[in-house]
Amino acid sequence: MATVQERVVAVTARVLQLDPSEIKPEYTFTVDLGAESVQSVELVAMFEEEFGIEMDEDAALAVTNVGDAVAFITKVCQEQGVEV
Amino acid sequence: MRLILVDRLTEKRFHFYPLALSRPVWELRCGMTSLLDKLLDRLFDRLETFEVAYFVPPYMADAYRESTSRSVNDPASLRGDDLLVVDARVKAAGFDVEPAGPSQVAVDADGEVLYAQIARADLEKLNTESIDALLDSAKGLLPSAEGSVPVWSYTWDLILANPEQLVADFAAAGRCGVEGTVEEPVAIRGSKKDVYVAPGALIHPMVVLDAAAGPIYIDEDVEIHPFTRVEGPCYVGKKSILLGAKCREGNSIGPMCRIGGEVEESIIHGYSNKYHDGFLGHAYVGEWVNLGALTTNSDLKNDYSTVSVTLDGKQPVDTGSTKVGALIGDHAKTSIGTLFNTGAYIGAMALIAATGKPLPKHIPSFAWFLEGVVTKGFGKGKLYETARTAMGRRGREWTEAQEAMWNEVFNMTKPVRSEAVKRGRRLLAAGKFAH
Repeated sequence: MATVQERVVAVTARVLQLDPSEIKPEYTFTVDLGAESVQSVELVAMFEEEFGIEMDEDAALAVTNVGDAVAFITKVCQEQGVEV
Repeated sequence: MRLILVDRLTEKRFHFYPLALSRPVWELRCGMTSLLDKLLDRLFDRLETFEVAYFVPPYMADAYRESTSRSVNDPASLRGDDLLVVDARVKAAGFDVEPAGPSQVAVDADGEVLYAQIARADLEKLNTESIDALLDSAKGLLPSAEGSVPVWSYTWDLILANPEQLVADFAAAGRCGVEGTVEEPVAIRGSKKDVYVAPGALIHPMVVLDAAAGPIYIDEDVEIHPFTRVEGPCYVGKKSILLGAKCREGNSIGPMCRIGGEVEESIIHGYSNKYHDGFLGHAYVGEWVNLGALTTNSDLKNDYSTVSVTLDGKQPVDTGSTKVGALIGDHAKTSIGTLFNTGAYIGAMALIAATGKPLPKHIPSFAWFLEGVVTKGFGKGKLYETARTAMGRRGREWTEAQEAMWNEVFNMTKPVRSEAVKRGRRLLAAGKFAH
């Protein structure tokens, strides 16, 4: 089974139409990966769909880079009883 | 005597959403004034003086208190006087109760109290701890009133009654003539007795006021720009601006609105903008709404069948009318080129980015409609920021009480929104995988 980081990278690559190899944990979604504001909303929605979780939008949109997204999603999965 | 107006959180209240999410039903409008004004006028015809107290859904009590000097949700107002308790849905026209009459209760087909007349002496027999307790005990102990009581059932009732009500309200206001400034050439069609231009109003040259089919009331400090055509019956509220608009018959606009494009048989509450071209017909628009350029609603189906409105996001309700446009809640915002389907329901605080196609018929309150689906968007905090900014630009304050009320509306509307967000996520995911 793919790790949380691999799944986060795969979703990010799909939404932002990037090659997964271009996405590093320290990269920010907006500055480094070029996410427009609407794409940030899409990313939150697609992470929710991928992991089967519900994220608070304010908290989710406060996450700025890929590594933090992995940590945030892992925490939400634990809180909501979703195995990852 | 004390008039107690009651707006309880019942199933039928929901029929007036999204407009009644943030105000008592009696603050909805029809014709030149609110339903409240009409009920008060009706009673003033019979009584010279009476007190007024309100009972509203608890979540909006603090916010409503900020807009009135009268008592709100105070059980003390249920004691110490003869009471006439009237439900918010009761129509003023046809409400022929004699205020000094004997104690009696009128209920609708579902047993909900429409009005209760309670003599002070009878109050001792009743439970006055709360409005619900009072009405329940009154229903059990007081005799039933005879005759039917006319009520408003849905928001579109107000839209459909608006032209006729405008005519009645103009006659009741008893004003005509020009007290403001009319810069020639302005064409007034029909009888000049059917036109009133209030002090401070400014009509630019090349405006047509067509009162041939109904009266036109231009209220104080309204400004009407060149190439606007206003067809009666019509009411333009204080400090509104019409910008080359094609105002077809049956509109109630303002106060403080900015209106351009084509508008027909619509009710628009205060501080809302439809600055640019685009058609709005048989619509009901709340406060602080901003409709982007070319925003258009359909109000007639291609097969001329009756229009349905989906109030709860699931079950359509047949309006019985072939003409119903959009119901648009307070603080909703649309992008340029937004297209609303016939009988669309646009929730309060909804933010909409156009797709080039007619949108789904139900967009929940607080939804961010982006990329053709309902999303959580940037959350309610951003929407509040925008509301605060919009209100500040017009010298109005976004208060803590309002924010608390809207937080409750956010929670109340969450189940429907969450369903739509889930559907949106699935659609979005399907689209992304397809790429």
